[in-house]
Amino acid sequence: MGVESDDTATRGPLGRLAAALHGPNTMGNSRRFWYLFGVVVLLFVFFPLYMLPSAVTNMSQYLSLVLLALSLAVVWGYTGVLSFGQVAFFGVAGYTYGIVAINVTGPLGTIAGLVVAVGIAALFAAILGYFMFYGGVSDVYVTILTLVVVLVLKTFLDQTAGDEWTIGEAALGGFNGMPGIPDLALGIGEPFLVFNDTVLFYAALLAVLVTYLGLRALLNSDYGRVMVAVREDEDRTEMLGYDVKRVKLTVFTFGGALAGLSGVLYVTYFNYISPSELSLTAASLPVIWVAVGGRKTLLGPIVATIFIERLGLFLSVNVGDWAFVINGLLLLVIVLLLPEGLLPGLRDLVSWIGDRRGDSDTDDTTDPTGEVIE
Amino acid sequence: MTKRVDRRKFLAGGASIATAGLAGCALTGSGSSDTIKLGILEDQSGNFALVGSPKHKASLLAIEEINNNGGINGQQIEYFDPDPQSNNQRYLELTRRMINQRNVDALWAGYSSATRETIREPAIDPNDQLYFYTTQYEGGVCDKNVFAVGPTARQQLGIVLPYLVEEYGSDIYTIAADYNFGQLSADWVKVLADENDANVIGEEFIPLSNSEFSSTISRIQDADPDFVMSMLVGSNHTSFYKQKASAGLDIPIGTSTAMAQGYEHLRLDPPAMSNIYAGVNYMEEVPTNRNTKEGGFVDRYYEKFPDAPYLNEEAENNYFSIYMYKRAVEQAGTTDQEEVKAALESGITYPAPEAPDGEEIKLVPETHHVNHHMWVMRADEEHNVEAVDDRVIDETFLKDTVGCDLTSKDEETQYTPQDYYEEAG
Amino acid sequence: MAIGLDLLVQFFPNFASIVLAATGLAIIFGIMGVINLAHGEFIMVGAFSTSLAYNGGIPFLPIDALPGLSRLIGAMLFAALVTALFGLLVERTIISGAVPNWISERTLGRPVVTPLYDRLLDSMVATWGLSLIMVQTFRNVFGNSLSGVPIPFGELSYGNSSIGLYQVLLAGVAAFVLIALYLVFVRTDYGMRARATIQNESMAQSLGVNTERTYMATFALGSGLAGLTGALYTPLLSIEPGLGSVFLVDAFVAVVVGGSSVVVGTLLSGGLLGIVDTLFSNVYGTFAGRIALLIVAIVLIRFIPQGLSSLVERLRERRLEVD
Repeated sequence: MGVESDDTATRGPLGRLAAALHGPNTMGNSRRFWYLFGVVVLLFVFFPLYMLPSAVTNMSQYLSLVLLALSLAVVWGYTGVLSFGQVAFFGVAGYTYGIVAINVTGPLGTIAGLVVAVGIAALFAAILGYFMFYGGVSDVYVTILTLVVVLVLKTFLDQTAGDEWTIGEAALGGFNGMPGIPDLALGIGEPFLVFNDTVLFYAALLAVLVTYLGLRALLNSDYGRVMVAVREDEDRTEMLGYDVKRVKLTVFTFGGALAGLSGVLYVTYFNYISPSELSLTAASLPVIWVAVGGRKTLLGPIVATIFIERLGLFLSVNVGDWAFVINGLLLLVIVLLLPEGLLPGLRDLVSWIGDRRGDSDTDDTTDPTGEVIE
Repeated sequence: MTKRVDRRKFLAGGASIATAGLAGCALTGSGSSDTIKLGILEDQSGNFALVGSPKHKASLLAIEEINNNGGINGQQIEYFDPDPQSNNQRYLELTRRMINQRNVDALWAGYSSATRETIREPAIDPNDQLYFYTTQYEGGVCDKNVFAVGPTARQQLGIVLPYLVEEYGSDIYTIAADYNFGQLSADWVKVLADENDANVIGEEFIPLSNSEFSSTISRIQDADPDFVMSMLVGSNHTSFYKQKASAGLDIPIGTSTAMAQGYEHLRLDPPAMSNIYAGVNYMEEVPTNRNTKEGGFVDRYYEKFPDAPYLNEEAENNYFSIYMYKRAVEQAGTTDQEEVKAALESGITYPAPEAPDGEEIKLVPETHHVNHHMWVMRADEEHNVEAVDDRVIDETFLKDTVGCDLTSKDEETQYTPQDYYEEAG
Repeated sequence: MAIGLDLLVQFFPNFASIVLAATGLAIIFGIMGVINLAHGEFIMVGAFSTSLAYNGGIPFLPIDALPGLSRLIGAMLFAALVTALFGLLVERTIISGAVPNWISERTLGRPVVTPLYDRLLDSMVATWGLSLIMVQTFRNVFGNSLSGVPIPFGELSYGNSSIGLYQVLLAGVAAFVLIALYLVFVRTDYGMRARATIQNESMAQSLGVNTERTYMATFALGSGLAGLTGALYTPLLSIEPGLGSVFLVDAFVAVVVGGSSVVVGTLLSGGLLGIVDTLFSNVYGTFAGRIALLIVAIVLIRFIPQGLSSLVERLRERRLEVD
C-alpha cells in the first residue's frame, strides 16, 4: 500500500533499491522526489564553490548536529521513547574522542578515538537502556530519567577542574572544558587527509547522506515496522509476540552510537568540548529540532536542525534580545498548530490547498504518512 | 497527464532551497577600508547578561569618545557587536564571522574562561587574531595573540588576603565555586596564605547550581576562622550572603568575585554584604579623581547610558584596553595586527580610571597582562563602600614564576599554580 | 549529639525547597497529565511579583506602604494571585487551546488546537517553548536583576551553630501547604471533582463533572502554588530571570519519585530526597549532596516506577486484604 507504481515494476537492482527505500514510514516515494533530492544533494556538494568559507564551516557544524537530531528521531519518532539524554551520549563521545586523540598522537590516534568514542557512547546507551527498559520504566519516566542522567554528568564534569582529573595527557578541565582536541585525520604517521574546513564539510555531508539512506532502508524494512508498532501500541505489539524490550534497547543503543558519531564530528569542528554541551538547554535542543521538523519523519529533523541553527545565528547577529523569544514561539506554534511537525504540517497544508483548488482528482496518490490509525 | 501537486517534493525541495539560501546568507563586511574595525562580543542576554552588559556599554563609550576626538590616526572606529547570548557555540560562530567576514583589526570577546578557551584554539590562534580578554580570571594564559588585561586571581587575592590577615588573624576558611576559577583561586589562597604566615583551616567547594547554604554556614561556624575567603560565582551563590546574614554569621569575608561584578551591595538588602572586603582593580566606587570626580568615568558612563544599573569591574577593563589599543596603533603607525602586537609589547601604559592621578597602569610586554592598581573595597552595614587599602600589584606568576616571555618566544599555553607551588597541590 | 541536631536543622530547608518546588507541578501533572516545563518560570513570576510589590513597583497597589511583616505577606499573597491568574491565561490559550480555537472557529470554521491534556510529551515541548519566551521577555522588560527583599526574622541558634529562622519556618509552611491541599482534595467540591478526574476522566465526565472547568481551576491552583513558592523564596534569592531553572529540576525529580498522589507523593519524596541531600551535604559537601540526590532519584524511578505513593497504595491495599 503506497509504493507508487508509475515506476515500471522492474525487479532489477534499481527496483530493489527503490523497494528497500520506499515505504509508509518515510516521506517521499516517487521518482520525482528522488530527482529533487538529487538536485538538493548536488547543491550541497557544490556548496563550497558558491559560499563563503565561514558558511561552509558553519554548515559542517549543522550537519554534525543533524546526526544528533536523527538519533533522537529514530528513538523518539519511530520507537516512541522521548530521550532527553541524546546529548549525554554526544558529550561522552566527544570527551572520549578528545581523551584518546590527545593521548595517542597522529591520525591513527584520531581514528582510534572515533571508534572508541562511538563504542563507549553505544555501550553507555546500552547500559542505560537496559537499566530503564528492562526495569519497566516507560513513557515520561524514561524522559525524566534520561534528563537526570544528563544533569548528573554535567554536575560531575563541571567540577573536574583540578589536575587530578587528567587522563594521560588530557585534562578534563571542568567547567572550562578540554581544548586542543585534534582534528579527525586519515593516515598512518603522517596524515594525508585532515578533517577540517572543506574536508570536514564533505565528511559530515557524506555521514548525513549515508545515515539518511540507511535509516530509510531500516525504517521501511520489517524491523522498521516493528519499531513503529512499538511506538503506536506497546502492549499490542508485545502480545503479537515481539520482544518489545529488546527492540527498544537495540534502537536506543543504535541512537546512542549515532549521537556519539555526531559528537565526534562536532568536536572535530570545535576542537574543544565542555560541560555546557550537557546543560538543560543543550539537552532540549534535539527535542526542539525533532519536534519542529516532524518527529515521525527523517527529512523533517534534518531540515529543522539546519534551519533552526542557522536562524539562531541570524537572530543573534541581528536581533540579539529577542532570539530566544522567537525560538520559543516557533516551538509553541508548531506543537500547538502542527503537532506532527513542520514538514508533515506543510505537506498537509499544501495538500489541503490542493484539495481546495479541486484539481487534484486522485487523492490517493498521497502516500500514507506513516501514522498507523488506531 | 493530469496535473498533480506532488506535495512531498514541493516540500523537500522548497525547504532545502530555503535552507541553502538561508545558510548562504553571506553578509560581506561592508565597511570601507579607511575605518578601523573592532569586534565587540559581549553577552547582552543569557546567563551572563548581568555582568556582560556593562562590558558592552563601556566598550561603546570608549569607542564613541575616541571617535569624537578624531579617531585613531585620523581614522574613525567602526564596530560590530552582535550578541553571543552567553552561548559558547555562538561565540565561536561569531568570532569566525568577525575574523573572516568582517576582518576586524582587534577583537574583544567573552566573559567566562570557558568562552575564551572555546575561541582561542580554533579561531584566534590559527588566524593570529589580536584578541583582548578583559574579565578577571584565574590567570596563567601565556598566548601571543591574547592580551588578558583583567586582574588575575593572584593579584586580586594578593591585595585583600594580606590586609585581612593583618586586621583579623591568620585562620582562613575558603569557600569557592566548584569549577576551574574557584578551584584555582582556592589554590592561590593557599599560596598567599603561606607567603603571609597564615593557614587555610578549611576549604569548601560549592556547585554552581547550589543555592542552599545552611550546611556550609554551619561548617564555617564550627571551624571558627578569623575570616572567610569567598570565591563564589553566579546568581545562585548570591544567596549565601543573604543566608549568612539571616543566620547571624558576622565574620569578615574577603572576596575577589562579589560586589565588583554583580553589584550585590546594591541588589541585596543590608546587611547581607556587611563586612565584605573585595579585592579588585576597579569598582564604581573606587575613589580616584579620574573615576568619581565630576566629568569622570562614572559620570560619562551614566551620561551615555542613564538607565544602566551599575558600572562594574570588567567594564573598566574593556574601556582602558580599547584606549591602550589606540595608543599601540598610534605608535605602530598601522593597524596591521602583528605590528600592533609588537607595539603592545613595547610597554604601553594608560591613565585608567582605577589609578590615582599621576599614575598610569602598564601592559607588561612579556606576559600581555597588566600591572593593576588594586584596591580593597569594604562594604559596611548600610552597604556603603569605601576603600581601605590600595597599591599596585604586578602580575608575577607568569612573569617571574613561569618565565613566560612572549617578546622572545611565541606560545599558546595556560599555566596553573599546582605545577609550580607545593602549597597549591 | 550536635551532629544529629545539625542534620535535623539543615533538613528543614532542604525538605521545604523540594516540597514547595514540587507541589504546583505535581497537581498539574497528577490531575491533568500535563508536564509544565515552564514551572520554573511560574515560580519566577511569583518572585518578580513579590519583589515589585514589596518595593513599590506596582501602580495602584501601595503594598510597600504596609508596615512590617504585613508588607512582605501582602506582597507574597499578591504574587500568588498574579501567578494564578497568569496560569489561567496560559491554560486557556496554550494548554486547552480554548482561545485560539474560539477565534479559529469563527474565522476558519474549525478548531486548530488540540488540548494538551494527557499529551505528556507534547505538553513538555510546548511548555518548554513557553519557558524560553518567558525568561527572555522578563529579561527584556525588567532587566537582568530586580532589587531584593530582606530575609525576615533573625537567627536560630542551636549548639554553637545558627541558621536563619526563616529557612526553618519554610518547612512549616511546606507542611501547611500539604495539609491545606489534602483538605482541599478531601473536603471541597472541587477536590472531589479533581480526584474523580484523576481516577477516570471519561467516567467523571459522564457523571456530569465539568472537566474543562476542573482543569482550569487545577492549572490556576498549580500556578498559584508555584507563584507562592517564588514568593516565599524571594527573600533568599537573587531576583533574576533565570532563577526558575534550579527549582525545575528538583520539582521534576520530586514529582516523578513521588508518584501520582499529590499530597502523599510530594510528602514522601520531599522527605526522602531531603534526608539524602542533607546527609550527604553535611558529611561530604554540597556537591556530594546534589549528586546523591540525583542518583537516588534515578534508582527510585527505576525500581519504583509508579512512584513512592504507589508503595503506600499497595501497603494500604494489602492491609485491607488482611483485615
